[in-house]
Amino acid sequence: MGLKGILKLAAATSLVCSLGVVAASAASLYVPNLTYRTGPFAATGIPIMNGQRDYVEMINARDGGVGGIELEFDECETGYNTNKGVECYEKTKGNAIVTQPWSTGITLQVLPRTNVDRIPILAPGYGFSPMSEGNTFAWAFNPPVSYWDGAYMILEYISGGDMSSLKGKEIALLHLDHPFGKEPIPLFEKMAAAHGFKFLKIPVGLKEMQNQSAQWLQIRRERPDHVIMWGWGAMNAGALTEAVKTRFPLDKMIGVWWSGSDDDLLPLGGKAKGYKSISWNAPGDYAVMKDIRKHVVDQGNSLLKSSADMDKVFYQRGVVISAILVEGIRTAQAKYGKANIGPEELRWGLENLDITAERLKEMGMDGMFAPLKTSCDNHTGHAGAWMLEWDGERFVQVSDLLKPNREVIKPLEAEKAAEYARNNAPWPGRDGLACN
Amino acid sequence: MDALYLMFVDPFVQMADAPDFFLQVLWEGLVSGVLYALIALGFVLIFKSSRIFNFAQGIMVVFAALTLVGLYEMGLPAWVSVGVTLLVMYGLAMCVERVVLRPLVGQPDIILFMASIGVTMFLIGFGEFVFGGENKVMITEALGIPTGAIELNPFDGFVLIEEKDLTAVIMAVLLVLGLLLFLNKTAMGRAIRALGDDPQAALSVGISLSQIWVLVWFIAGVIALATGIVWGARAGVSFALEVIAYKALPVLMLGGLESVAGAIIGGIAIGLLEKIFEIYWGQPLLGGNTETWFAFILALVVLLFRPQGLFGERIIERV
Repeated sequence: MGLKGILKLAAATSLVCSLGVVAASAASLYVPNLTYRTGPFAATGIPIMNGQRDYVEMINARDGGVGGIELEFDECETGYNTNKGVECYEKTKGNAIVTQPWSTGITLQVLPRTNVDRIPILAPGYGFSPMSEGNTFAWAFNPPVSYWDGAYMILEYISGGDMSSLKGKEIALLHLDHPFGKEPIPLFEKMAAAHGFKFLKIPVGLKEMQNQSAQWLQIRRERPDHVIMWGWGAMNAGALTEAVKTRFPLDKMIGVWWSGSDDDLLPLGGKAKGYKSISWNAPGDYAVMKDIRKHVVDQGNSLLKSSADMDKVFYQRGVVISAILVEGIRTAQAKYGKANIGPEELRWGLENLDITAERLKEMGMDGMFAPLKTSCDNHTGHAGAWMLEWDGERFVQVSDLLKPNREVIKPLEAEKAAEYARNNAPWPGRDGLACN
Repeated sequence: MDALYLMFVDPFVQMADAPDFFLQVLWEGLVSGVLYALIALGFVLIFKSSRIFNFAQGIMVVFAALTLVGLYEMGLPAWVSVGVTLLVMYGLAMCVERVVLRPLVGQPDIILFMASIGVTMFLIGFGEFVFGGENKVMITEALGIPTGAIELNPFDGFVLIEEKDLTAVIMAVLLVLGLLLFLNKTAMGRAIRALGDDPQAALSVGISLSQIWVLVWFIAGVIALATGIVWGARAGVSFALEVIAYKALPVLMLGGLESVAGAIIGGIAIGLLEKIFEIYWGQPLLGGNTETWFAFILALVVLLFRPQGLFGERIIERV
């Protein structure tokens, strides 16, 4: 082939590619996910991302997409590395109607950029807790509960509903030494000052995740009444192994929702019986799971290694996350009267979510997560969560729905949101975006 | 005065008040130290024979452990899986020598270092492709490693010794003794040392460079497998194991890159000192998590006085 031939081939290829991109962008809504299926945190990332992906695949297969338009679910691998996460954001933002950063560190980095790029961030159950303040963080959403909600609900559960009973007790926070792990500290400090309990921070460095003997020696020495774990990835399995080893009573140990993966507990089996983790999704055999099995897993279109993994808490949490996104898209489509919405319309949809108990039934998710309603000044919804307990083989629900106390948390959110806006001035706030 | 008391008196009062706890701290420090020394040994062996700082040592630990667990999950008996994993590590050593090192003979050290980063990237991708990124359970019991705990009651207190930690220490000691015997008492071992001491002279007397490189990368693979088993038994087998390789860096700075004894003593010293510092100074005075930096500071202080490390060779070049 001569030079002319090569040039013709290149021109034809680029034309076909361009047409393909145009066709794809017209016939689908691009919803990228900044995943981490590799690296030190892959073990906990994979099941969630599988759940997210399979729900979207099911919606495409069962309903032909949302409102007649298919969702193009794309993954960009970050390895939970903040720098790579920012690269992934930049790479995927072109046609995206949403960005899902999947790490508190990445969320904090892309937060200012999304104001400029006008793309909503969807960070369910993670990120910066004050993102709930929609008047400051117009483009960021962290439904159905924030980390501060989680911290409050754990204390509520420990105290049996009477916070004054915590007076004189010592509560240790075993946390990853990372923005995610440090996120609940302001709320715990506020609650410790208000209710007279001693709050002890025990950080775990990334390199110490699998050898936490020093942290557990400290726990043995201090003998706290409760240990609350804010762990992720290999840290969870490392902590639980050390807890069993040091004979810390596991019924006095509660993890945040990211410290409640079946895969972390299975190696310990019966030894970890009694360990609890708060969760905003309750595992179960829901109608939606049957649809996913029928339309995706049985068709061989899932990345799951075993269909038994569908019963696990983290997989089902991934399903819930995509369901929230899909509801946001539906809400926006209904408001704007068109299927092919853009990021600004989706932002409105996420700000006006109203997933009632009836709607959950229609979605085949009755009881899978709590009814959720967002608004201009409430981008989280603060729907509530349940306490799960490891029975030696699986997590089972052991509490009614716990709810965060907005009177305690909202002033702290407002204070920290204002502080963030001051430190990042000029911060646009709603920047002319109307409410409703 | 309070600060001075907390720094210079209180830690020792605590040690005397709770001697059983202090013994537990020493045991945990010793176990960590032995495990650090194991990782560092892999680095030292390869550096000693080829002047390559093997960046891939961490991922070799992951790869070896994943291969072992993967083979066992395929239905092979545990010890057969160990044997096949060793064959895989030998195959890896041959591939590295043929594909990566041989074409780079005579290139500057930095090129070889960059090549080892390339090997790391390949093993990450290949490992994830073959085994996936999920956490796996080390086949501790199938290998016959005891998983109970021994409780001792000195000074009316208690010290808990995990049997798998004890096994790890014994295994590491046997491995090191075997390695020292091999390096000092066999012809191949002496050849490795000769190549490290003077490559030109070693080559001139007929020592095969490629044979030695395959051998040391294989031994590093054996060490990686042992490391993977003992670390994996503590908190599962996943790609998170890779980060423990970074714990070997201060050990190498402290002990010297060429010294087997330096890796062992440096590893144990760092394990013990960082644990004692964290418990008695770091946690009460600095908010904890000093283990992430203490070893590096200690190594830097040593380097100020002995740039070659405690046991490294002082190189004098005359020009």
